[in-house]
Amino acid sequence: MSEKEIEVRHLTFQYEQNDAVLQDVSFQAESGEAIGLIGANGAGKSTLLKLLVGLQLQFEGSILIKGLSMEKGNLERIRADIGYVFQDSDSQLFMTTVSEDVAFAPANYGLPPEEVGRRVQAALERVHIAHLKEKSIYKLSGGEKKLVSIATILSMTPDIILMDEPSAALDPRNRRNLIEVVNELDPLKIIASHDLDFIRDTCGRVILLDSGVLVKDGPAERILTDRALLEEHGLELPLSLQSAGRDS
Amino acid sequence: MHMADALVSPGVAGVMFACSGIAAGYSIYKVRLEQDQKKIPLMGIMGAFVFAAQMINFTIPGTGSSGHICGGMMLSAVLGPYAGFLTMIGVLLIQGLFFADGGLLALGCNVWNMAFYGCFVGALLIWRPMMRKGATKGRITLASVLGCVLTLQMGAFSVCVETFISGISELPFGAFLAAMQPIHLAIGLVEGLVTAAVLCFLSEARPEVLWGVNHEGEKEGRLSFKNTLIVLAVAAALTGGILALFASAYPDGLEWSMEKVAGTAELEAAGGVYESAAKIQETAAFLPDYALKGSESPIGTSISGIVGALLVVALCVACCFAFRFFRRKELQ
Amino acid sequence: MEQLAKRNQWVCAIHPLVKLFLTVFYIVLAVSFSKYQLAGLLCMLVYPLFVFQLAELSFFGALKRLRIVLPLVCLVGIFNPFFDREIVMWAGPVGISGGVLSMLTLMLKAVFTVLASYLLIATTAMEELCHALSLLHVPKIFIVELMLIYRYLTVLLKEAGRVTDAYRLRAPGQKGIAFKAWGPLLGQLLLRSYDRAEGIYQSMCLRGFKGQFYSARKGGFRRADFVYLLAFTTVLSVLRFLPVAEIVGRLVL
Repeated sequence: MSEKEIEVRHLTFQYEQNDAVLQDVSFQAESGEAIGLIGANGAGKSTLLKLLVGLQLQFEGSILIKGLSMEKGNLERIRADIGYVFQDSDSQLFMTTVSEDVAFAPANYGLPPEEVGRRVQAALERVHIAHLKEKSIYKLSGGEKKLVSIATILSMTPDIILMDEPSAALDPRNRRNLIEVVNELDPLKIIASHDLDFIRDTCGRVILLDSGVLVKDGPAERILTDRALLEEHGLELPLSLQSAGRDS
Repeated sequence: MHMADALVSPGVAGVMFACSGIAAGYSIYKVRLEQDQKKIPLMGIMGAFVFAAQMINFTIPGTGSSGHICGGMMLSAVLGPYAGFLTMIGVLLIQGLFFADGGLLALGCNVWNMAFYGCFVGALLIWRPMMRKGATKGRITLASVLGCVLTLQMGAFSVCVETFISGISELPFGAFLAAMQPIHLAIGLVEGLVTAAVLCFLSEARPEVLWGVNHEGEKEGRLSFKNTLIVLAVAAALTGGILALFASAYPDGLEWSMEKVAGTAELEAAGGVYESAAKIQETAAFLPDYALKGSESPIGTSISGIVGALLVVALCVACCFAFRFFRRKELQ
Repeated sequence: MEQLAKRNQWVCAIHPLVKLFLTVFYIVLAVSFSKYQLAGLLCMLVYPLFVFQLAELSFFGALKRLRIVLPLVCLVGIFNPFFDREIVMWAGPVGISGGVLSMLTLMLKAVFTVLASYLLIATTAMEELCHALSLLHVPKIFIVELMLIYRYLTVLLKEAGRVTDAYRLRAPGQKGIAFKAWGPLLGQLLLRSYDRAEGIYQSMCLRGFKGQFYSARKGGFRRADFVYLLAFTTVLSVLRFLPVAEIVGRLVL
């Protein structure tokens, strides 16, 4: 059964006196979906993600998360259901060891120690890094840090996962691995990226933003293959399609 | 300026731990009162920033040599004195443990000498009053240089006093002072200039980052610049007075060694400073110097003692080697 | 350092509070020797010697750490022989002055205390040390701050390294950072750190942070911890309060 997890209506947002970063954005998302949020630098992708977890509350329009309206009083309940993977893993991972960091969220939600331990183990196993459990964060490679970042939010067992540029600064192999891991996750995923190949491999639906305006919302295969549309909004065809196009 | 564990006696270390502990407790109380959770990560990051800043070498204009900073004043200008003080404690603890700069026992002294003066005197008595009227480049520079020079002078003076009371060095107090103060005048000037440069940059780029600055420039604070000068003058007079007292009570620092105070020598010298110093010294000697029955040496060390000690150590080394030998065998 | 402390080794597994206590205890005892008690102090070498052996650490590798401490200590101690010339001891025909004795004592103290701190962190990981501090009821806010400093130390050091490298590549032949660049260079670094702190705070909030930190660490004292504690406190106390060196020396001479 699919239900509306996210409902955004006429969302407009601006930082203090500057120009609007988002203008009249509306969309809905249902559980189980994987949505790619694409757009050139400065299109408003990250800002939209931040609004969805309530890091900014001075917006116009409405955001409903699982039927709860985004406002101060609801923040705690909303955030318990949403996991946000930061672009910079070093900002996300602030504890000393992997297990402590993954345990941070469940411990804060007041779970008993045994349950926290179980959640940590399960989260690490789901991203296949149970062997890193006792390692120090600062010794991890970039790819490992990204996986740990994902584990830190999986331990909250969220219904919605938001990712900001997850594939940035990963080598091809780690990137491949990350795609597999992301595809194994079943909650609703919204992934902001300009790595269109990554989006193509992980998402079934794409939302295209340009200068804060929602330009197109539709199936990934249709939008990502539309060269004219992408180029009009400062993007290029995914590399995988570029070479295929040349072959034919 | 970091004091090593070896330079302090347990009594002095304890007293300084207590002083720094009180200041730390008060700071924690104040920081909790602020109810600003954002400060927690900020304190951690700024602490790490101090290490990063210390790694960078700055060329001192006109000399070609380079120096680096220690940061109490800069931290306080961003975090406020209380959070800044707590951050400095963290920095000093990690320096002592991981970089062998300072030490566990001397932590109390180091916190007092560097963090307390830098954060409380520098930020509360100098920075804040001068920023009441709003921040200008000139005022920031003056406050930074004045603050750094003054707090480093106080720190260096404390190092001398602590070392002297610990009875470690035979160096006359005056000579030690004469060596320490000018060096730290130079260090303070450089640190002041670096701090000023950074804070000036901040006040242009992101003025809201700076603590205690009156952005509207409207209200006149309780402490005006004039009052600050008066406070500073009083502080300087007090420091000078204590110094003079020390100097007159002990024209020759050599005479006043640990042995004399803790030991048998009768001291006729009077004066409040001396008595309190002696009291500290008594605490310092809470561990008795074992008096040997029938020992030929009144000072606790004799040749036979040293020979014995070397034997004990040699025995230990032998044990260790044997231990290692058997373990290897076991592994094989 | 971290690698050393995380080895699967039994000294590393000793309860951090025990190791912290022993380290402080040892340092206090070592420093409490008066300036002429060279013999007694020398015996205190027993503790580092044994622990280095037990923890399988390199003794000489650790001596490198002295390079920071020794200069100031030497500066303070080097004058002792000039000021305190009274002969207090005769080694055969050679007279040894009090100043020489007190200088040696001071330097030994410096070496011993540095070694003791080194042994503590070479066998105890930072998070365990923080755990020990929390058992001692050190306020949480301070412990968290300590952990964060430690965590971001390497991140910011790397960043500072990159910044100075970038500066040097464009300013050949300069020894350090020129006066004009002081403010912007360090200021930018500070602002970036400031923003990073903001990011971390957001990351905390999104994961349910309400001003509290929970430690999942547990594990009480085991028998080995008590034995370790008792053995070393006894040995150290005997060495400090009984004239062991004198007794052994007299037996021999």
